[in-house]
Formats: sequence, C-alpha cells, structure tokens
Amino acid sequence: MYKSQGNRTRTSIRSLQVIMVGLCLVVLGRVFYLQIVQYETYASLGEENSIRQEFVTPSRGLIYDRNGVLIVDNEPIFSITVTPTNFDREKIPLLADLLDMPDSLIRERVDEAQRYSWYRTSPLLTDVDFETFSRIQENIWQLPGIGQQTESKRHYPTEMSASHILGYLREADRDDYESSPEIRLGDKIGKSGLELIYDDTLRGKLGIEFHKVNAYGQSLELYDGERSGQNPTQGNNIITTIDSELQAFVEKLMKGKSGGVVVMNPKNGEILALVSSPEYDVNRLAGRLDRDYWVDINTDSTRPLYNRAISSRQPPGSTFKPLMGIIGLHLGLITPETIVHNSGGYRRGRLYRDIAPLGDYDLESAIAHSSNTYFYSLMDRVATQGDFDRWSKLVKDFGLGVPSDIDLPSANQGIIPDSAFMDRYFGKRRWGLGDLINLGIGQGVISVSPLQVAQMTSSIANGGYRITPHLVNSVQTSDGSVHFQPTSFEKIEWVKPEYLYIIKNGMRRAVQEGSGRGYVKNNLIDIAGKTGTAQNPHGYSHGWFTSFAPFDDPEIVVTVFIENAGWASSSAAPVAAMIMEKYLTGEVQRQWVYRHVMSWEPSEDNSRGTD
Amino acid sequence: MQNPRDFNWPILFSWLMLTVMGLIAIYSATQGPVSQFLPTYIQANFYKQLGFVVLAILIMIGVQFTSPRTFLQLSYPLYAIGIVLMVLTLFFGKEINGARSWFGIGPFGGQSSEFMKIATILAVANYLTSRRNISVENIRYAFFSVCIILLPTTLVILQNDFGTAIIFLALIPVMLFWSGLPYGVSLFIISPALILYLTVLNWQFGLAAAVIMTALIFFIQRRAWLTVTSLVTGILTVIGVQLALTEILKPHQIARITAFTNPAYDPTGAGWNVIQAKTAIGSGGLMGKGFLEGTQTQLRFLPESYTDFVYCVIGEEFGFIGAVLVIVGFIILLTRLLSSAGNHKHPFAQLVTVSVAAVFFIHFFINVGSATALLPVIGIPLPFISYGGSAFLTNTLMLAICLNMDFHKREFSIYR
Repeated sequence: MYKSQGNRTRTSIRSLQVIMVGLCLVVLGRVFYLQIVQYETYASLGEENSIRQEFVTPSRGLIYDRNGVLIVDNEPIFSITVTPTNFDREKIPLLADLLDMPDSLIRERVDEAQRYSWYRTSPLLTDVDFETFSRIQENIWQLPGIGQQTESKRHYPTEMSASHILGYLREADRDDYESSPEIRLGDKIGKSGLELIYDDTLRGKLGIEFHKVNAYGQSLELYDGERSGQNPTQGNNIITTIDSELQAFVEKLMKGKSGGVVVMNPKNGEILALVSSPEYDVNRLAGRLDRDYWVDINTDSTRPLYNRAISSRQPPGSTFKPLMGIIGLHLGLITPETIVHNSGGYRRGRLYRDIAPLGDYDLESAIAHSSNTYFYSLMDRVATQGDFDRWSKLVKDFGLGVPSDIDLPSANQGIIPDSAFMDRYFGKRRWGLGDLINLGIGQGVISVSPLQVAQMTSSIANGGYRITPHLVNSVQTSDGSVHFQPTSFEKIEWVKPEYLYIIKNGMRRAVQEGSGRGYVKNNLIDIAGKTGTAQNPHGYSHGWFTSFAPFDDPEIVVTVFIENAGWASSSAAPVAAMIMEKYLTGEVQRQWVYRHVMSWEPSEDNSRGTD
Repeated sequence: MQNPRDFNWPILFSWLMLTVMGLIAIYSATQGPVSQFLPTYIQANFYKQLGFVVLAILIMIGVQFTSPRTFLQLSYPLYAIGIVLMVLTLFFGKEINGARSWFGIGPFGGQSSEFMKIATILAVANYLTSRRNISVENIRYAFFSVCIILLPTTLVILQNDFGTAIIFLALIPVMLFWSGLPYGVSLFIISPALILYLTVLNWQFGLAAAVIMTALIFFIQRRAWLTVTSLVTGILTVIGVQLALTEILKPHQIARITAFTNPAYDPTGAGWNVIQAKTAIGSGGLMGKGFLEGTQTQLRFLPESYTDFVYCVIGEEFGFIGAVLVIVGFIILLTRLLSSAGNHKHPFAQLVTVSVAAVFFIHFFINVGSATALLPVIGIPLPFISYGGSAFLTNTLMLAICLNMDFHKREFSIYR
C-alpha cells in the first residue's frame, strides 16, 4: 500500500505546502494592509492613545480686606488614589495600617473604585492630613496601584467667619458646566457670596497640558511633541471693603442673637462689616464635602444659610420716621415748625396708639421721642391729598423697595407700596386710608432689609446722596495691575440741606434724650440714630437701630436688626454703640455696655422705653 | 554515526531565528519601560523564558542521540501517561486565565495539554502505521484513530481551554488525509470550518462557500452521496451558526464575536484587545518604532503582550520588516518540515512530521490571525515566540523529534 502511495505522498505534500504557504501569504497580505496601507490611520490612533489632554486648574484668586489683610487663600489638600488593576489586594492590611483605618473600609472603597473602572484612577481618600499623606509617600514603593494627588481648597486665615460675605465653593454640576465652556464637571465654583458674584474674576483661565499616559490613564510625563499646551492664568485677587477686625468684632457681638448688621461708609457705600447671625462655618464647606454638616445647615430651623443682613424683609418701624419727615417737608405738608399734639394716639376712624410722652411735638422732637401721632397725621395728609404714589417714588429714591445693587447674591428689594401695588395686594378698591396711615410709622405693607435701612441712613448722613453699597473695592489682576470697581455717588435732587439739618438733629436728640439715652449716649462720640420695632405676629417684636457718627462729619453708618429682640433700645441700640466705639476709638470704652450686649437674652420687656 | 551534513540545518536555523525574535519581543514586553507597570513576577518572565531556551537547546541536542524507534516504542506509554496527567490536572490543576490547565508538583510543573500534543501525535501515528493492513479507508480504523484524538480533546475542553481544543481537532483532518483519506472526503471534513468562519462574517458568504465547496468536492470525487451530504452539511452549518449567534450563545460569547466583526461596538470592553492589537501592528509602519519604543507595548495598551499578542510587539517595534521576518521564518520551517516528510521511508516518521508541521501552522495562523484581526481572538501562543515554558519546550521537543527522524532517516525504515 505504501509503495502505491508514492504519488499520493508527493501530491499531498504539495497540496499541504500550497495551503500553508498560501495562508501565510494571506497573513502577510493582512500585515501589509495594516502596516503599509493603513499606516496613517493606526499611527494617529496609537498617538491618540498615549497622549491625553489635561486641564490645569488655575489657582483661584485671593481675597483681601480693606487694610490688605489676607482673608481667603488656598491651601493644598492631599488625596490618596487607587488604580484597581494595579492594586494588590493583599496590601489592604498594610494600607489600612498606614491610613489608620479599618481594613473593611479600605476594602469597601477599593471595591467601589473597581466598580467604577478597573483601569482608571479613582480617589480612595480625599483631604487626608499631611502626616498620613507623607506616610503613604514613604511607603508608595510597596503599594502598587496607589497614587497621590494634591488639590487645593479655600482657607480662611483670619478670626472672622464672614460666611455670608465670602460664600462657599462647590463642585460644578450639569447646569454650571453647560452654561460655560470654561467650567468642567467637578470644578470648584463659587456658589454663594463674593465667591459666586466674582466667580469669573477669581477663577482664572484653565491651562492645557498634554501628557503621555499609559493604558491606565496614568500620566507619565509631559508630552514634548508637536502639540503644545497653554499655561493657566491665575485668578484675579479681589480687595474688599471689609475691615476684617471690625467684622470679627461684630460677629462676636451678634453671637447667640439672630439678626443682621450692616456697617457702611456713608460717603462711598463701602461696607466695612456685614454680619448675619447665626453664621455657618465656611471652613467646613471647603475641601471634602461634609455631607452631614451640609444637611445640618440646610435643615436647621434657625436657617444659618439665610443672609439676614441683605435678605430679611421686615417693616422698618420707627427707623422710617426720619425719611417720612424729609418727604413731608418736601411735599410741603409740614414745616419744621408744624406742631402736632399727642393725646395718646391719633384718632381717624379708630385710635392709632402712641406711647410717646403726651404733649406737643414739632418735627425734630417727634423724631427724637418717636411720636407716632405726628407721623400718622403726616401720612394721613399724604394719602388724603392724593400724594401716595409720589410718596412711594420719593421713598424709593432713598433705596428702599428697589434693588440695592450690592455685589452679593440674593439681596432682597423689599416692598414700598404704591396704589398699583395695593390694588394687586388687597384687590382694586379693597384698601383704604386705614391701610396707609400705618405706613407713616413704618408698619403695615412695607418691608426692607437691614442693608436698605443702612443705605437710607447713609443718604441722610452724607447730605442727600444716593450711594451703591458694595463689598469689593478693586480687582488685582495677575500681572499686578489694579482695577477699581465703579462706585456711584449721586445727589438726590429734591433733598434740600435744610430738611436734613432738622432730621439729623432729631436723630441726634433721639440718642441724647430719646430711646438711645440708655446705652448709646456717651461723651466720646457724637452719635445720631433711631430705634425701630418691627411687629412680629409670631412672637417677640424685632428690633431695629440705625445710626451714624460722628454727627458733624459722619464716617460710619451702623444698622442693627435683631429678631425677637423686644425693645430695640436695649437690644439693637447697644450693639450699634459698641461697633461705633470700636471703630471710631479703636476699642470698647464702656465695658458695662459690652457686658450687657454679650449677656443679652431676648424678652419682651427687658427694658423700659419707647421707640 | 551520521554525517552532520545530513542534519537539516535550515529547520534548526529557522527555529533559532524565531526563538531569538521571541526573546527580543518578550524582553521588550516585560523588561522594557513597560516594566514599571508590571508586577515583578511578570517582569521575571523574560529570564524564565531564557532558562527555557537553554533547557530547550539541551533537549534539542539530547534528542539527536536517540533512535527514532524510541518514539515509536514510547508512543502508547506516553499517551497513557499524558491522559493520566490531564485527568489529574482536571482535578488538582491550577487555574490560570480561566483555564484549569496547569499541573505541578512543587516548583515544577506545566500545562499537561501541551505535552499531550506530542503524545497524541505519536499515538495516532503509531496506530495508523503500525500494521500494513490498517488504513483509514476502513471506517473502523478511522473511527478509532479519531477517538484517540477526541479523548484528549474532551479533557482539554473540560479544562476550559478551547484554544488548545481547536489544535487537537485540527489534527483529525490532517492525519486522516495523510493516511489515505480520499481528497474529496478530506475537503468535506474541513469545509465546515471555512463555512463557519465566513458565516460569522456574513451568512451569505457562508452559503456561497457551502455551494462552492460542494462543487469542488464534486469535481474531485464524483460521488453523489458525498456531494449531497456536503451540501446539506454546509447549509446546516450556516443555519446552525446563525442560530448560535442569535439564540444559543451566551452574551459574553456573542460579545467576543461582535468584538471581532465590529470592534468599535464596545471599544473599551470586548473590542479593546482587537483595537489595541491592530493599532499596535498598524502604527509600526514599515520600519517600526524601534526596540523598546513601541507606545502600545510600553504604555501597556497592548494586553497579553508577551504571550498571545507577542506578534503585535514585533509588528509595532520592528514594523513590517519584523512582521514579515516572522512569517518568512515560519514559511521556511513549514515547507522544510513537509519536504523532509516527503523524503521519509517510514510512514510513522512521515505522519509525525506532517502532524507537527500542521500543529505549528495552526498555532501560527490562529495566533497571527487573532493579532491582525483576521480571526476572532482565540488565545493560543505563537510557537517559539510567545512566552510560556510548557509550550516552548513541547514545541521544541516536537521539532527535535522531527529533526531526529530526518537525521536518522536512513536507519529508520520499515525495511530494516
């Protein structure tokens, strides 16, 4: 059989050789196709593979106070990362030991990273302390797949909190990164306060780097080929109008109280201090998100995230009376000599009560002793002479009921009614004189924020100029040049100096002989001011005190609003007095007032007096 | 003693060339800049392979001093030992990459299925050529020799090593063909593989192939029953594959096939290997990126770079020139082996040599086919080039046996 197969053997060998060589040539053809014909395609694919474009986050601009004190800077935070495919699970006990954490927690986190991606680098622990970070660094050689990352977070070096001014950063969400090509998912952007309003200024410009990466996305070195990156532009620094020392002092005074304080320079609208109490801790919102704390402050019934200094909407109470006087004089409804007799109230359909001492009042003494009757009758005349809408317009000229244009988010414009508003509010012809007379003493359908009261007071103090309250003085770009923010200083045309002369005197007497005589009056500083009470249907009344000093050439306006304060003269007024002393003399002069403020508890009648 | 001039130097030369290229590629894939991303036990693979090469050279030399009859005599005992080892592996083996194929005692061990390739080739060759009256044309003998191959195939499938199972299965048509199976029937046996491959690409191609193969079989061997059977089998294969693709296969298996037909469908998952392998080879261009300079290899984009995708390392770093050199090396090796088979006087030697050539070829074709995305990714090593002690030593031993039989062909004859 074998001999007869000699031919077959030769044929078989030939056919096998032809098949094998033929298929080898098919493979060769394939290789030729891939390497020679398709070279361009795969060469660029290969390059795309190993080069990654990375964004370099610029360092965020710093924030300074008015005296050049650094109040917000950046601090590195250290993170430990894991690349699951390189990580040796047997190293978990060692890692846990170095991190001083239980094995199970590490295992859980590695599992989580693994679920996300085997090959990508995920954070294992963020915001670890430097000591732990260095411990990992020393042992990194025996921890394959473990890496380190340094990011930055906001750091607040001063004593003050200023949470409602500065605001906090959060990771950008979908809405954010869809709104701007400059923002990427996960970037930290300002979400409130100055960080929000000046986010574009502070953020700087992203840089681009090309990195050589391996299959795990680990960056190995900077790519030095044809493509070149772009250096990041550092964020601009901002110089605020805040006096950090004063701010810290005001925060201390307001501790345990609920309310808002605005301290402003009446000449240019620079805000020296702006406090809303209770505060929240910006430090705990920097860096790794403290979820528990975030839920806490969002659900807290005292609403620490709510900026009472600019967002509160409360009736101004008697702090409105000086402005009423100015408008009355302008409308010619009263003269400085007009006398109104207080017999315990103003009778017009019903009795509008007045608790000021009985007797005759002219404008100055009506402000000094806060006689309601005077202003009830004035408002009565405004209304009955058909000047209600004009009154509304004049009030708005002082910044009430209109946006204040402050460089903070969520400032409230409040309500100053006119007849159109009343029609909307009560319904057409469903309101009448009874709803207007109350407005004369700042009660009823009228609401303002502490900031607006401070703004109004400034216009009185500075001789009738309207100013824009603002927190940022200038922006310093990374090349060192300084750009000042525009400010406005605009005469309110109809306000005559002689009106203000009387009003300011009335406010001075309110401190000397009226509601301010208890805690505000002192021999060092000539303060003028006015208390007020915002009626609160839910509990104790809210207290107002707005003031300016020194009387002859006002440098500072202080407006204090305290919720559930009871009498303003013993709650809000002493706080303002302490701020004046601190700012104008450099220190607290009257320790007993300071102690009073610090130990103050809200109650309806913790002092006697009127407002 | 034989004259050294009679030794088949071209085969030894091509073996040496492939081995050295393998060492260079493994060095690049384990000791190159990529080593910083590799655990130390993988970095050590280069030195292990170097050890295996030294050991293989000793085997190569040692084998030349034995008589070819030894292999004939040892064929059945070796087969029995191999089967026992495989069964033991099945129960006590170590699982590597999903296949329970590694069996060892202490530090020594290896893949029993690799060793089994030699044993099976020797046993079938011995069975088919031991007596004059045995011929595969007798259906009983054909059936029994197929059983000799199917037993280890089954064990390999149980070990979950489908790549190696394909090698065993491919031995069936080659050995039967060589032992006298009519050409038409041989073609009929291998036609389903071709039809299957084309059906995966496109079922119309598969159907066309079924018709063409049937026509070819009809021309070679004008037998009505064979032609009809071939056509029916062809059509059933097409239908079967379509059913398997849509109904029977599990999602992860389908994913692997989709990765072959359309790697872009899941580029980071099942398609990753295919895309990275093609990119590695394609980006090599004519001259390659240079030794240790391949970004796909050195930045770890290429998976299994020192084993299944070692061809891509060569393609990337040495370009078309390097890739062709490997193909040329295999062409020399295979054609020389087949020629030497033609010169043998002893049918056992013929059958063994042809089978060994077939095994090398199938490894080569499937491995390089996978790496160049001609075929779906089937994980089997490239002979003499891929890292792996068992495979390297087994392949060298097979080649050494062939060389030995070629060297001693005058004394190894049925007439003596």
